[in-house]
Amino acid sequence: MAILDNYSPLKKKEAIFGWKLVSPTVILISLLILYPVFYNIYLSFFDVSLSLGENNKFVGFSNYINILKDITFWRSFGITLLFTFITVVGSILLGLGVALLMNKKFFGRTLVRSLLLLPYVTPLIAIVFSWKYVLLPIDGPLTKFLTLFGFSSGMDIINDPNNSFIVVSIFNIWRNFPFIYLMILSKLQSINDDYYEAAEIDGANSWQKFLHITLPELYFVIGSVALLRGIWNFYKFDEVYLMSKFANTLPIYIYEKAFTGIPQQGVAAAIATLLFLFMMSLIGIYVKKVLKW
Amino acid sequence: MKKFYLLIMIFVLSISVMAELTFWTTETESNRQTRIKALATIYEAQTGIKVNVVPIEENDLMTQIPVAKNSGTLPDILEAGIEPLLLLASENFMDKDLNTKIVDSFGDIYPGAKKLLSDADGSSFAVPFHAWVQGLWYRKDWFEPRDLGNPYSWHNILTAAKALNDPAKGVYGIIIPKKANAFTQQVFTEIALANGARPMDAQGNLLFDSKEMIESFRFYKELGKYSKPGYTDVLDALKGYLSGETAMTFYSTYIMDDIAVEEVQKSRIDKFDADLVVHTGFANKMINIRPTSYGQMVGIGILNTSKDKSNSEDFIKFLMSPKNYVYWLHMAPGGMNPTRSSIAESDEFLDNPILQRYGKEKMAEIVAALNEVERFEFIDGKVLTDMSKLDANFVIGKAINYMFANDWSPQQTAAWAQTEAKRVLGK
Repeated sequence: MAILDNYSPLKKKEAIFGWKLVSPTVILISLLILYPVFYNIYLSFFDVSLSLGENNKFVGFSNYINILKDITFWRSFGITLLFTFITVVGSILLGLGVALLMNKKFFGRTLVRSLLLLPYVTPLIAIVFSWKYVLLPIDGPLTKFLTLFGFSSGMDIINDPNNSFIVVSIFNIWRNFPFIYLMILSKLQSINDDYYEAAEIDGANSWQKFLHITLPELYFVIGSVALLRGIWNFYKFDEVYLMSKFANTLPIYIYEKAFTGIPQQGVAAAIATLLFLFMMSLIGIYVKKVLKW
Repeated sequence: MKKFYLLIMIFVLSISVMAELTFWTTETESNRQTRIKALATIYEAQTGIKVNVVPIEENDLMTQIPVAKNSGTLPDILEAGIEPLLLLASENFMDKDLNTKIVDSFGDIYPGAKKLLSDADGSSFAVPFHAWVQGLWYRKDWFEPRDLGNPYSWHNILTAAKALNDPAKGVYGIIIPKKANAFTQQVFTEIALANGARPMDAQGNLLFDSKEMIESFRFYKELGKYSKPGYTDVLDALKGYLSGETAMTFYSTYIMDDIAVEEVQKSRIDKFDADLVVHTGFANKMINIRPTSYGQMVGIGILNTSKDKSNSEDFIKFLMSPKNYVYWLHMAPGGMNPTRSSIAESDEFLDNPILQRYGKEKMAEIVAALNEVERFEFIDGKVLTDMSKLDANFVIGKAINYMFANDWSPQQTAAWAQTEAKRVLGK
């Protein structure tokens, strides 16, 4: 503890006590987060063998080189970026709109506010099966309803592999907008009414009030939820996979590489490492430029 | 002396406490799990060895194996279909010597069943446990008045599908699977083999774009015109047939209890049709230029990683001993057929209300078909492990799914499957 040499005995004791307090957390984080991260990076340099009795073979950077040459990887990467962009923007717009509405006083507001949270709090598997049932061709309730307006009862919107991207994007926006709505609503309620009264005295209309008071007040909330949803949606696997296996986003691609057909776990680890580096850099820039931390 | 006995007792107790087997089974339905766990409890009571029964969905098996390998939690015994067993055997996961020893010890396993789970040198990578046959289940009472014959040939199937298709009344000629999964591949396999088509030859050359395969895709697409709309799957096929929504449906012999038993049928649809079993016919083979049958063998095998091979062997023999075996097979009467001839012919096996409804003769016909079953993975006594890799990636299922989704021509479908197969196999 040479670093503590310049400290007074009391400061030394405090510092040591501080380390004792945080050490369980440090150990836990190391075990649960750092170890898997470093093990994944380690695996990315190997041809991981699934055959019994055969050891993993060190292959250097060849997994990385192969990925960067793989057109399917780049296609999946592009799809994932688009998916993240569409779902984050979509759920923020929807969440913002609903939050503004729910900030107005009306009869039964508490009940409506609670109901709006249902897509987010209901177990995912139940929602996925409900969507699939509602949109069943011929027998699905929504399909039956749509036939009244001239739609074909034989269309199978949700299971058509060509619709995968659209279906999973709409589903993700619908499922996750309540989270954003909740964050924005809590901020909306804390904006001082004096600002709006002052603006009204100055003759500002509703749009001007929204643009010059509400939006700047919401800037950091929207910025933070955009960051969180961006990270979550970039790595989103469960919703996408349960709705459609054809969405071709990167987490699905990693899953296929790691576990289906001929598993290539070294390659999957390399993809995960690349994504980790990409996301860390992106988050760094975002935090500095957008959130101005 | 007392101390000695105490030590012995502690030793025996500790051995019995420690002895534990892990058994992965693909029979995940709750009623089947109840029976399997009952057998495990009986085994534990008789031997003191605890058996941990782990249900795993067949489609998830190839996902779970690498995870279990990395975490050192592979089971001692695994029960699964041919494809995953074949892949695992090719990666040296299965204890062939021990599994062959068990097969030989029974002495009455059907040769056809044994062949499906054997290497070219005759060693078994798993013990043939039970099997089902796939075919077309059809409404005899709808076929007979129109004199449509039996739906064995491509011609008869298509003619009947056209004749009986009446969407305005909510009745479809047939329900065929159109999703990218194992069921679609199974149905297509029977159709393609009836036309002499194979996606891969004995040398491993890919033949998706052969004339016979293109014709098979064409026939499948043609049938799609008279099938229930949407990307129908296994449950659509089952419920559709039970509710009188279709004249024909592909299904395995697992449908037999749904057709014959009121409670089972009512768990699927609201009404029970007591006459359905009488009005149902089963085409257990198909023909266009050659006859073929399709079925699935389910094997049970000991893994090389098993920590207790002796008890694992003992447990498999316990499961396949007459009384326990019949108890297991009766969890899905008709669907699970024995691979031991002595059991198939026994009165105990046929002593079941569902099997009796179909009769001894029909059951003999089904079980005998197991000797004639063909699959893409086997050709001229050779096992094609590459074909299992294509199966695991659902190449055929995806091709058919895209064919209907994009209205691809049979040629386009075959070309896509050929390219995709090359990509999957790294060729």
